[in-house]
Amino acid sequence: MTMPTYTRLASILAVCALTAGCAAPSNPDPRDPWEGFNRGVYKFNDTVDRALFKPVAQAYTYVTPEPVRSCVHNMFSNVRDLWSATNSFLQGRGHDFVNTLGRFLFNTTMGVGGCFDVASANGARKIPNDFGTTLGVWGIGQGPYLVLPFWGASTVRDGVGLIGDLQGGSYIYSNPSAIDNVPIRNSLWGLDVVDARASLLDTTDMVDRVALDPYSFIRDAYLQRRAAMVRGNAGGEGSLPDYSIDDEDDAESPAQPAAAPAATPAQ
Amino acid sequence: MRISAFSLLQRLFLAAIIGLMAAAAAHAKPDAHGAPDKFVLDAANEALDVLKADSKLKSGDLAHINQVVDTYILPYVNFRKTTQLAAGRYWRQATPEQQTALANAFRGTLVRTYSGALTNVSQNTSIKLLPFRDDPNADDVVVRSLITQSNGQPVGVDYRLEKDSQQGWRIYDMNVEGIWLIQNYRNQFAQQIEQSGIDGLIKALNQRNQ
Repeated sequence: MTMPTYTRLASILAVCALTAGCAAPSNPDPRDPWEGFNRGVYKFNDTVDRALFKPVAQAYTYVTPEPVRSCVHNMFSNVRDLWSATNSFLQGRGHDFVNTLGRFLFNTTMGVGGCFDVASANGARKIPNDFGTTLGVWGIGQGPYLVLPFWGASTVRDGVGLIGDLQGGSYIYSNPSAIDNVPIRNSLWGLDVVDARASLLDTTDMVDRVALDPYSFIRDAYLQRRAAMVRGNAGGEGSLPDYSIDDEDDAESPAQPAAAPAATPAQ
Repeated sequence: MRISAFSLLQRLFLAAIIGLMAAAAAHAKPDAHGAPDKFVLDAANEALDVLKADSKLKSGDLAHINQVVDTYILPYVNFRKTTQLAAGRYWRQATPEQQTALANAFRGTLVRTYSGALTNVSQNTSIKLLPFRDDPNADDVVVRSLITQSNGQPVGVDYRLEKDSQQGWRIYDMNVEGIWLIQNYRNQFAQQIEQSGIDGLIKALNQRNQ
């Protein structure tokens, strides 16, 4: 990113901080104290996405045959597995570490350099992992929710984790920054971004269709998903949402004798 | 010799028939009063069988999808409880009419959410249960499953069920890759109700269902 981009971004955020774009939220969430600011960045990201990233990803999906796209996607995902495995190791999740390393080795050899995800086809589930999760497992709290320019949903901890991902991933050749040749490196980063956006096309379309407020829909989904990743597959404490918190005296009412009307179709 | 050959044929034929019957019985009718994990598996397999056999669903015909959902998914789901929990403390402020309207509007939104997923069902889509970790005698349990598609990663989907003495087990919440449905709508519901009341929320949901 060049300097002018930073300056422009800073001015957009400054304008947002001064105007109604960052109005006080109507239903504040304790996990999101910077909601006004975050909504400003969210709006900026959404505008950039609709003008640039989404059309490019759609064009890429349109012109590239499905097998090629899935090969590209699988290869990026495969080298990333190496970094996921490293993080599983750092978290002391030996089982995940061995599984992900096995996935990587199997896909790299039998899957022709990761082009085919033969491990998934054989039932080895991908275990996504990153440094933000590692920090969480080590006991560092997530901090306030934070929307990063261009990147999107994050938290203070996961933002720090991203720096770790970039540095660590480059150290073990798990992302394009490990490559010295600048044109190749930049092309690969570009392809990586386009691939990532293209694989999210269905998801963002769904959010557009079903979310009452896309901003809080994405925030709540992100925070839930990250909490689940830090918990891992152990389950246990906190893995089930407790819906009774602000609804406790509801148990007194009889178990909804009026359950029948819900069965009538809406349309 | 002739007689034994005939009886061999007969036996083969009989075995084939029994095999067919067993295959038909393999996907039993879901029993809401039985074990919760078996109930979810049977209900899911029943729905998958219908979806695989139905070519009209692929075209994304919303009216038809609604019909399939009404017949094969709705009887196993307690949408009213889902809506009640998503509305949280505002549920008690709503009149019974508003509650029913809200449940129906939310149901419409959810059918739209999942209709996209339903059109992705292919012949290779299958569901597998993960080990059940709850107390089988509890009346609020989580059944965990893994849904496998021909292309792409398997997706972890958990179902939360509650048992009541009349209707037996019914699903009221689900979790896709760590994200619980109700949890994800609570803030949005509260936000909309704070802004424009329960009727405003019903209206906003229905607008999306058009």
